[in-house]
Formats: sequence, structure tokens, C-alpha cells
Amino acid sequence: MRKRLLLFIALGWVLLLIGDRVDELRVYQGASIAVYVIAIGSIILLTGYSGQISLGHGALMAFGGYVAALCVANASLPLWFAFVMAALVTGIFGGILGFAAARLSGPYLAGTTLALAVGLPSLANQFSILGGEQGIYLDPGLPPASLGESFSQYKWFFWITTLAALITMFWLANILQSKYGRTWRALRSNDVAAQLCGVHTGRQKVLAFSLSSGLAGLAGALLVLTISTVSPSAFPLSLSFALVTGAVVSGIYDLKGVMLGAVILVIIPEVADSVASRFGDSLKITSTLPGLLVSALLILAVLFTPNGPGEKLHHLRHKRKTHSG
Amino acid sequence: MYKFISSLLIGLSLGAIYSLMSISLVLVWRSTRVVNFAQAGQAIVSTYIAYEVVNRTGSFWLAFFVAILAGALLCAIVDRYFMRPLFKRVTSGPIVAIAPVVATLGLLGVLRAVVGFVWGVELKPIAAPVSLDGYSLGSEVLPFAPYNALVIVVVAVVLIALSLLFQKTNLGLSLRASAYSPEIARLSGIRVNEIRTLGWAIAGAAGAIAGILATPTSYLSPNSLDILLVFGFAAAVIGGLESMVGAVVGGLVLGLGVTFVSNYVSTSLIFPTAFVFLIVILLVRPSGIVSGKRSRRA
Repeated sequence: MRKRLLLFIALGWVLLLIGDRVDELRVYQGASIAVYVIAIGSIILLTGYSGQISLGHGALMAFGGYVAALCVANASLPLWFAFVMAALVTGIFGGILGFAAARLSGPYLAGTTLALAVGLPSLANQFSILGGEQGIYLDPGLPPASLGESFSQYKWFFWITTLAALITMFWLANILQSKYGRTWRALRSNDVAAQLCGVHTGRQKVLAFSLSSGLAGLAGALLVLTISTVSPSAFPLSLSFALVTGAVVSGIYDLKGVMLGAVILVIIPEVADSVASRFGDSLKITSTLPGLLVSALLILAVLFTPNGPGEKLHHLRHKRKTHSG
Repeated sequence: MYKFISSLLIGLSLGAIYSLMSISLVLVWRSTRVVNFAQAGQAIVSTYIAYEVVNRTGSFWLAFFVAILAGALLCAIVDRYFMRPLFKRVTSGPIVAIAPVVATLGLLGVLRAVVGFVWGVELKPIAAPVSLDGYSLGSEVLPFAPYNALVIVVVAVVLIALSLLFQKTNLGLSLRASAYSPEIARLSGIRVNEIRTLGWAIAGAAGAIAGILATPTSYLSPNSLDILLVFGFAAAVIGGLESMVGAVVGGLVLGLGVTFVSNYVSTSLIFPTAFVFLIVILLVRPSGIVSGKRSRRA
């Protein structure tokens, strides 16, 4: 564990140095990558370990985003506290949802969370405190003056999100190796056997769903920080789908692959833009291409690297060894 | 009173469409243990084809039958050339349990995007074959129109045809047998794989009918049927996901519930209502209101 801590500190240091050397756009994309890392991590915890699937994590992100924005805009709480609140409250909400979810498996859970993703953002229009279509403005504040005059806002976002992502990943890596991680894996591979070994399956599933929701809420709050408003349109159904894609591409069981999934999710809109501009920027292409790329990637990933690139590489290496030996 | 009657009638016609979508999900689930999230994508493709036919020929009914054929064909292709290779390929690791969900989700996205490429993302109307203006009762104009009545009649005919097919024909028997117990069905000489693809085709046809019936009262866009998918799924779960009768009951219950809430409370509560229905049913009676004995495990 100490080794891992050192590794994460070193990783943070490297990221900090990189953040100093690239231009503003890249720094901003770095912040988005960090947000996606947390969100995909939450899906890996849920799906890869406890074996539950959620198509509604975009809605949970929206929930966290609204919590954070309300904390800052209405109660004028400090930013860090708003993030903690977002994670906590979304976690509790997820726990309540988890009571229903824990009874379900596979497609039931998928469909229910899908309904959540379609329904929850439209609730925002129902309550005036949530600001309707326009949403709520979240004032991210200026970076502390002690960091110097030239310290840009985007770099400040990058620092915050990266720090959050590093802490989250450190925590995830530890918890997945702990008693809880083992219990969840046992649950996923055979819940009857797990029950016979004394695992309270329902409680463990609710716990996993709740923790995963908390992380999604944190990711949502950070996303809202980087775009400085929270509105229903920032959390479309396609966000939930993109997160699933990111997790499958990363390898649903593989925390190390998270970076890959997050980077791909950030790159896809850019690739789509450049392809669309080559074809003359018609509305048809610009609005459908990102969705096509995400979905096609999802299908290809399921067909060709179903358990992630890590396992595929392992397989290839193994094959080569047995051939030569 | 007017409000009550019109809510009842509108609810029925809405519920009829949900029932069809729900049936198409149930049929696939029974035979393959897959909730076909791509059903919304397949229905959108067949509905756009119908749109094209209406535009070219002006005949709603020709378009209706073309859509059914297209929906059935597309669904059979999806089973034969997409799902079957997928099951063959993905056999190990933590992904197995979620692979069907993830794959149909990806397919949904691809089909939506393809439709967007071909027909654009603007809203498109399909003209209804009969009037969309409500019947008038005395001085009041009900929101219930001849088209809504037509929807109820068409769905009723489709349901009767389906139940005859499933209960009275040999084909229906083999469909039910291979869904219930594939191995024993195979031993009895039923070609389970072909029958399964046929089951998918019937499901596709039902989904296509739901798609084209839902469109004249609103607009067509690449994601306009996602809502129908969610409601169809909710209806299927209310009905227990295993039973076709349950699917119809679930669809009607949901249609009526949603209409009454939107007429008496608030129109923006439609989604939350469906969601609450779903959660309450899952908590109180997880096997659905029309339940078999089998427990709810994938």
C-alpha cells in the first residue's frame, strides 16, 4: 500500500509537470479526462466487481452536479465541501436506489437504470429551485492568488480534477483489493456460493451500488465545475452510454485500463469534429458522428476485446510463449 | 367526467402501443434471455422506411405493411448475424453476464446514427390515415380522436393474431417449446435456432408496428422512439417479463397510469410516473403482476 501511495504521488507529480507544459486546450481536456476516469472507475467498481450493470450513471452524475451547484449557489459553501456533499448525497441516493437494484440482476437492473437516465434529467424542469432548462450557474471562483498571476482557470480545474481522480483511484485500488473487493468478486462469479460462505448478498450489492453512485456524483460535480453550469442537457442519455463504452473499452475488470477509456471518450468528439469538417460540416454528420463512433467502438470492444485490452495482451503473450516453447 | 372518459380512452390507445413494444421485448427475452435494447433502433429504422414509403406513394397502409416486413427482417438479421456470433465469441470473464446488454446498446447507437446519416436529424411528420381531431361530445371536444380508436383496433387485431399463432398453430407450439426448454425442444425435432430467429422476427414486427403507430401523433427523429423503449420495458417488467398476457396488461396499466397522472397532476410527471411504477412493482412484486413460478434471475 505504501508503494502504491508513492506511485500515485509520482504520477501526480508527472501530471503536474505535464500540465505546466501544454497549452490551455490540452489542460482543459486533461481535466475532462480526470472526470471520466472517476466516472469509469465507478462503473468498473459496480459492473466489473459486484456484477451489476448500470445504464444510468449519467443521471447519477447529474444528481451529484445539482447537489454541488446547490451547495455553492444557495448555501455558498466552499467548493471542496460541495464536492464532498455531492459524493455523500449521491451515495445515499444510490443506496436507496440500490435497495431496489439489489433484488434485480442483469437486464432488469439495466432497464431500470436506463429509465432513471431518461427520467431524472427531465425532473429538473419540474422544480424551480433546479433552474429548468437553463440550469444553475456554479461559480468556480478564481484560483488562489498564491499560485501566481499567470495561473489560469483551466489549470486550476485541472489541478482539482486530477487530485480528485488520483485520490479516487487510490481509494478504489485499495478497496478492490480489500475484503470488500473479494466479497464482490465472489458475488459476481457465483452468488449462491458466496451466500453459503456467509456473505450477505443483498447488503453487499447495495453497498457496491451506493459507493459507485457516490463516485458518479463526485464525477458529476467535477464535470459541472469544468463547464460552470449544471443543466439537464449536460447529462444526456448518450453520457450514460459513453460511460459504459469507456468501461468496456478499458476492460470492465481492469482498473489500470481506466486511462485508456477516459482518453478515448475525450478524443472521440474531437475526431468526429475533424472528420465532419472534411465532409463539409453538415448538421447530419456533426450531430450523429460522435454517437456512431461511441457505439461502434462499444460493439467492436465487446466482440474483440470483451474483457479489455489487458487480458487480450496477456493472451497474446501467453500464446506466443507456448508456440516458441 | 369528460376528462375522465377521455383520459381512459387516450390511456388505452397509449397503453396499446406500449403493449406492442413490451411484447416485442418479452418475445426476445423468453427465447434468448436478452433484453433487446436495440429494439428501439430497429423500430426507428422500420419507421423511417415507412416514412419514405408514405412520402413516395402517399399510402399509410402500404407503408404500414412495408414497415412490418422491414422490422421483421431486420430483427431476424440482428439475431442471426449479430447476437449468435456474439454468444459464440464472448464466453469467459466478467463480461459474459453483461455482454448482451452492452451489445444491444451499441447496436441501438449505431442504428440511430445510421438513420441520422440517411434521413437527417430534423423532426419529420408521418400523416395519420384518419383524422387526428378529437371527437366532439356536445360542446366539448375530446382529445380522443379517430386515430386513437384506430390504434386500439389495430393493436387488438395484432394481439388476436399473435395469440392465435401462439396457441393454435404448430409453429406457435414450437416457438413456445423452444423458449421454455431449448434442449428438450431440440430432442423433439424442433430446429431451435431457426425457430429462435423466427421468434426474433415476430418481435421485430411487433416493435415496427409500435413504432409506426406511435409516430403520427408526434414526430419522427432518430431518438424519438427511445421513450417508447423505456415505457415498453417498464410495461414488460410490470407484467413479469415472461408472459405475453402480462406484457399487454402491463402496457395498459402503464398507459392508463401515465395518462391519468399527466391529465390530473402535471404533464411533466410522465417519466417519473413510469419510473415510480417500475420501482414499486420491483419492490412489492418482483415477479410482475401476472407472474409465473420462475424466479427473477437472468
